[in-house]
Amino acid sequence: MTTLKRVQQWATFARIWHVFDASWQNPFDSAQLLKKYLLGLYKPIYHPMNDCGDHVIVINCSDVALPGEEWKKRVYFHHTGYPGGASWTLAHELHKKDPVLILKKAVYNSMDGNLQRRYTMERLHLFPDANVPAKLMGNVSNQIRQIRPIPKRLDHYTQKEIEEYPKLIDYPKDYILR
Amino acid sequence: MVFLSVVNFVRSRGPDEFWRKRKIFRLAAHYIGRRRNCYSVTIKMVHRALVYATKGRKLRKDDIRDLRDTRIIAGCDQHDIKYPDFKEGLLRCNILLNRKSLSDLAAWEPYSFKALTDIAKQKLQEDGLNVTDPPTNVITRGMLK
Repeated sequence: MTTLKRVQQWATFARIWHVFDASWQNPFDSAQLLKKYLLGLYKPIYHPMNDCGDHVIVINCSDVALPGEEWKKRVYFHHTGYPGGASWTLAHELHKKDPVLILKKAVYNSMDGNLQRRYTMERLHLFPDANVPAKLMGNVSNQIRQIRPIPKRLDHYTQKEIEEYPKLIDYPKDYILR
Repeated sequence: MVFLSVVNFVRSRGPDEFWRKRKIFRLAAHYIGRRRNCYSVTIKMVHRALVYATKGRKLRKDDIRDLRDTRIIAGCDQHDIKYPDFKEGLLRCNILLNRKSLSDLAAWEPYSFKALTDIAKQKLQEDGLNVTDPPTNVITRGMLK
């Protein structure tokens, strides 16, 4: 085996570590994206029987953005197994309990339920903020592009930018702004 | 339950109960427990297995087709082109490769696959469709004239 072939094979079959910034991302759309990397669906050598999935580190999980009214309306169900053991938790309550759980459940539910799913989830490393152990971060060699740009809040603009922002009309002097 | 020769297999046809059952047991030779020993259980299992086999012939083709699609989509993603666009581009160039060829190229011949995506992109761009990152290394007849 030549050196080139050896390196090519190594590069093809090695597990790659990706990092994904979840701030202001829809967790359910992100789950569909992360799934591709966790299962190796983005590689042309993919086969359900070959173990070609990658590791994904997700940072800023506490800053996920649920669409619409989902924080209030989405309900997570859990049953202890005992009679009367059912419980329903709203998304914002679950998020307060553990800020990574919403994304974790979104990814878990996006994959088919088979024996491999638990092991695939082991390759997903979720962190509520950007503090990732250096040991993990040292492996990372790729960043997954965010699905949508992070919106810039009004208080993040400088006063100068706000004043110079293009506008269609000036309010009349005697117009009362409420 | 095992036929040691063709002669025994020929003898197993006929009205005789033993030989009739023996044909069924032969099909259930690899089952476990009563499934292979009791005829009333065996016949159910064998009928079921045959139904599964019939359905499986169709499912296997579907699975292979899905796998090939997955691989082609993965290859297309690497070169920033959508699968429907890629197919449309190839069709307009009269490159009539099937899924098997394309997925094999994507997995084993990545440079050939990239050439195909370049050709598809160039064709789509010439036909006025919106292409992100058009290739610069494809020379077409239109350019030479």
